[in-house]
Amino acid sequence: MIQLVLFLTVGTTLLVLLASVVFRRRSEGGSVALLEARQALNALQGGLLPAELVARIFDRTDLEYVNRQRSSEVRELFLEERKRIALLWIGRVRKQITRLKSFHLGSARFYAGLNLRTELSLTLDFARLLFTCRMLEVFVQLRGPYAAPRIVGTTAATAAKVCSVSQESLAFLTPLYAARAVNGSARHTDF
Amino acid sequence: MDVLQAADDLRRRSLASYPRPLDRLIYLASMRDYNTGLYYHDGLASRYSPEVACEAMADCHREAFRQLVGNSLEELVQQLEAYMASTHTSPADFVTAWKGLEPYRVAIPVESDPLAAQLLFSSFRIALAILESRLHPQTAALTA
Repeated sequence: MIQLVLFLTVGTTLLVLLASVVFRRRSEGGSVALLEARQALNALQGGLLPAELVARIFDRTDLEYVNRQRSSEVRELFLEERKRIALLWIGRVRKQITRLKSFHLGSARFYAGLNLRTELSLTLDFARLLFTCRMLEVFVQLRGPYAAPRIVGTTAATAAKVCSVSQESLAFLTPLYAARAVNGSARHTDF
Repeated sequence: MDVLQAADDLRRRSLASYPRPLDRLIYLASMRDYNTGLYYHDGLASRYSPEVACEAMADCHREAFRQLVGNSLEELVQQLEAYMASTHTSPADFVTAWKGLEPYRVAIPVESDPLAAQLLFSSFRIALAILESRLHPQTAALTA
């Protein structure tokens, strides 16, 4: 009887320890996912999607001005540079959207109270966005930065919509929570 | 609140003599210590505090950067031409030095958005090529 009690006590203690380790890992992993999602959102809203920046990169008036210079060298340099910047923009938008998508597919349902309809619509938007990014990349690569202005507009608009839904999902992530999460991750990585 | 007042003060006094964003960007970058990244302005620091003056200058620097990034290529070329004239350097020497040293790379505020910075650097390269082509109009016409 004593052996049975001892066996059960040791077993229960081990189970409790195992459960605590599993839950701790999940919450720390969740914190990292949340912070990554927040960073992706900040990068998109603050750096990549502002209308002025997108307009500046793809604005045709710059091309018209360069054409008036009557120098093929300058024109060649301009198209090469704008193409490089356009591809850089598309690549960064795609990267941040992929990070947001990972958050929504993984951790979002633990934190955000999104209904099924919103989740489905968001999944479709992510798929559409990543597809248009790829398509835009191919167009710019083959035909230059001014090849597909409508796709640029669609990409920026869909990305802004996805950001707006993600912002609602992350609304609870206050600076205090973020600081705690960072400290939690730091303790985890120190170890 | 102090920072906003100091920034306003800076715009009305020191920056009033620099109407173009490019001039303001270069002026404000020149007021920054390369080793610490902190801005120094004796007059502003004496009216407020060194910390407030530094923060106000950083704000104005970011503002000038945003304005310059938002300018069209034509506006950037005009500003570069005006700046070049104000330095009293020969255009050929100016273009050669700027193409080689790329001083605009150290003129942007810290923590500028990387893509906006890349776009501005790229526009500077094109603007300098345009100015260079104007120095040698015959060559440019031949290649057109």
